[in-house]
Amino acid sequence: MRQLLMVRYGEIYLKGLNRPYFMKALVKRVREATREYKANVWLHDARIFVSDMTDADACMERVRKVFGVHSVCPAIEMEKDDFDAICVEAEKMMRTVNGTFKVEARRSDKRYFMDSPMINRNIGEYVLERNEDHLSVDVHKPEHILSVEIRDKAYLYCQVYMAVGGMPVGTGGKAALLLSGGIDSPVAGYMIAKRGVQLISVHYHSFPYTSEQAKEKVLDLGRILSQYCCGMKTYVVPFTEIQMEIHEKCPEDYTTLIMRRYMMRIAEKIAEKEGALALITGESIGQVASQTMEALQTTNEVVKMPVFRPLIGFDKADIIDYAKKIGTYETSSLPYEDCCTVFTPKHPATKPKMAKILEGEEKLDQDALIEKAVNEAEIILL
Amino acid sequence: MSIYLDNSATTRPCDSAVEAMMHAMREDFYNPSALYAAAMGPEKMMKSCREKILRSVHAKGGSRVVFLSGGTEADNLAILGQQKKCRGQKVFYSAGEHPAVKEACQAMEEAEAVAIPYTREGLVDVQALEQMLDERTALICIMQVNNETGTIQPLQEIGQLIRRLCPKAHFHVDGVQGYLRVPFDMQAVGADSYALSGHKIHGPKGIGALVMGPGVQLHPRQVGGGQENTIRSGTENTVGIAGLSAAIDAFPKEHTMQQVKMHLYEGLKEIIPGLSVNGPAPDAAYAAPHILNVSLPPVRSETMLHALEGKKIYVGIGSACSSHKQKVSPVLRAMHVDQAAAESALRFSFCPENTIEEMNAVLEAVKGQYALLSRFQRR
Repeated sequence: MRQLLMVRYGEIYLKGLNRPYFMKALVKRVREATREYKANVWLHDARIFVSDMTDADACMERVRKVFGVHSVCPAIEMEKDDFDAICVEAEKMMRTVNGTFKVEARRSDKRYFMDSPMINRNIGEYVLERNEDHLSVDVHKPEHILSVEIRDKAYLYCQVYMAVGGMPVGTGGKAALLLSGGIDSPVAGYMIAKRGVQLISVHYHSFPYTSEQAKEKVLDLGRILSQYCCGMKTYVVPFTEIQMEIHEKCPEDYTTLIMRRYMMRIAEKIAEKEGALALITGESIGQVASQTMEALQTTNEVVKMPVFRPLIGFDKADIIDYAKKIGTYETSSLPYEDCCTVFTPKHPATKPKMAKILEGEEKLDQDALIEKAVNEAEIILL
Repeated sequence: MSIYLDNSATTRPCDSAVEAMMHAMREDFYNPSALYAAAMGPEKMMKSCREKILRSVHAKGGSRVVFLSGGTEADNLAILGQQKKCRGQKVFYSAGEHPAVKEACQAMEEAEAVAIPYTREGLVDVQALEQMLDERTALICIMQVNNETGTIQPLQEIGQLIRRLCPKAHFHVDGVQGYLRVPFDMQAVGADSYALSGHKIHGPKGIGALVMGPGVQLHPRQVGGGQENTIRSGTENTVGIAGLSAAIDAFPKEHTMQQVKMHLYEGLKEIIPGLSVNGPAPDAAYAAPHILNVSLPPVRSETMLHALEGKKIYVGIGSACSSHKQKVSPVLRAMHVDQAAAESALRFSFCPENTIEEMNAVLEAVKGQYALLSRFQRR
C-alpha cells in the first residue's frame, strides 16, 4: 500500500487520434514540474500517477499548476485482492469527513470478483456502520464521494483538488510576450500559455530612467509565470536610446505611440529569431491613450505576425482578480521607480493621424536603432 | 573601483572594527553576565567602550551609556521611555527630524506633539521656538546634524533657551548623523540624552548607544533579564559593541572631508548652471563637512542616481518617485525648497577616506551624464 497522486487531465480527453501526442507532452510537463520533489511519474490506464515524492503537499500544489491537468487526487494504492483491507482503508479515509457521502466504484478490470454496484454497497455499508454519528448516505447529491477504482491495483480517494486546466505547454506553438512590470501583461501571458503555448518574453528597460530594482521586479514576475509555463526565455532590451531619439525628433503627442510601434517591431524581430509565431500584449480597449482602437490600429500595423490580446475585453477589476488568482498581483503592485514620465506626453494622441506618425518616424534611423536594441538585449532564462 | 558617496545611509565597516568583531565572536564570545573569569573579557570591553563614548561627547560625571540595537531604538527609548512624564504636556521635535524621532513623538499617548519650523537653510527656527516653549514643555528633540542637508543645528543656543524657559524639560539630541564627524559637547549644550549609531561611523549595523545624563530616568521599552541596569534587557550585543568600540578608536580626529566636499561643490558649480544648494552654504560654519545636498535641475534625482550608478558611483537622493507618484522629502519641504529643485536633489555624503581624485572622477561622470540627460525634460 502506498500514497500517491492521481492526476486527471481535461481537454486532452476531447482529442482523437492525436491524444497520445498530447498525453506524452503532459506527462513530460508533470515530470519536469515534480523533478525537484524527486517524484516518480508514469502514465497508466489513462491516468498519470505521481509517487515517492519528498514533499507530498508541495508536490501536489506544483502539479495543480501544470497546464493540461484538470484535477489532482491524493489517493491510496493497494492490492485489489484483499477486499477486507480495502474496506478498512476506505473507512479510515472517511473517519474525518462529516455529512453525506456515497461510494462510487469503477471497475476497469472486468474480471474482478465483484461488480461496481456490489463494491459500492459493501464498502458503503462497512463505512457507514462505523461512522453513523457523523456520516449518512445520499446517492443523489452527496457532499463527499469516496471513489474506488479497480484497475491492476485498487485506488481509493475522496478528495479532488481542481487544477488549472488548459493544454500542456509546448503543444500550441511559441509566442513572444511583451512583458512590463504592470498587472496586465503577466495575465495575458498566462492566458495564452494556458492554451499550450510556449512563451518567450520581451521587456524594455530604460536605464537610468528605470532602475535595476525595477528590472528585477519584472524578472520576479517572469519567474512566477515561468512556474506555469515551464521556463521562459526573457529578453531585456535596452530602450533608452530609442526613447531619447523619439523624444528629440518626433511630435510630442505622438511619442508614446511611436515608442509602442518600436516595441512591437523589436518584439517581432526577437520572435522571428526564436521561431515564435505570434506576439502577446496585455492591451485592453480604452485602458490608456495608446489602447484606444485607433491607437491599437497604428501599433498593430507595423507587424505581420498575429498579435494576441487576450485581455482586450476585460475591465481592469477583472484583470486584477485574475492576477490575484495566478499570484502575480502582489509583485505587479509593488512600487517601483519609473522616471519614464520624462518621455510621456502631457496629452497623448488618442485619435492619431497616420501621416503625422510617419512624418515623425521618418526622422529616425529605424533599422539601425532596432538592430542595435535586439543585438544588445540581455537574455535571461527564467 | 566604485566610489561610495552615500555615507549618511551607511558606511563600510573599517578593518579594525571587523577584526574586533571576529575576535568577539571567536574568542571573547562569553556572556558578560556569566560568573567565571573568562566572561571578564567582554565585560571589560563594554566598560571601556562606555567610557570612551562618555569622553567623546564630554558627558557630565554620573552620565550613563545604554547599548541597544541602533539609532532608532536609542531615539525611541529616549522619547517613549518618558511617556508617563509627558502626559498632558508638550513634546517638541524639529520639522526635519528623522522618522525615528518624529514618529516616536507623535506616538506619545496623551501628549501634544509639536513640530518646530525650519528656516530656508534647514536650521531650527530659534526665534519661533522661543515663542513656542513654555512651562508645559516636557521634551524637546533636536538632531545634531540633519541627515539630508548636513545642517548643524544651533544646539547650544537651543539649550540656553530651554534652561531659561522650561528648565525641567528633557533635551534629547539625535546624534546619529553627527557623532564624531562634528564635535559635540553634551555639557555645553545642556543635553539630557544623546543617541548614536555604529554603522554611520564605520562600525557594524545593529549596534547603537544612548547616553543619559545624570539623574535621567527612562522607562524600559523591553523587559527581561534586566541587563543595562534594567533599562534594556537582552544579552548585550558584545560583537556589535566590540565593533563600535574599535570604530570609535579608528575614526580620525583630523580629516579632509570639508576640502573634499568643497572641491566637489566648486566643480559642480562650474558644470551645472542652475545648481542650487539645499541647506546651508557649503562653507558655512554650520554646514557639516560630510554632507552636500544639491539640486541639478532639470535632471530628476533618481535618473541621475542611476546614471551615476552605471559608472559605479553611489549617491543618495532627496526625494524618490515611486510609480509615478512624486514624494518630496519632508526635510526639503520643511525648508520650502521649490518642487523642481526638490525633484532633482542629490545627496553626496562623505567619509574620511574619500579623496580629491575621487571627486574629479565624480565630476567627470556628472558632467557627461548631465549633458546627456538634461536634454530630456517633460515637455
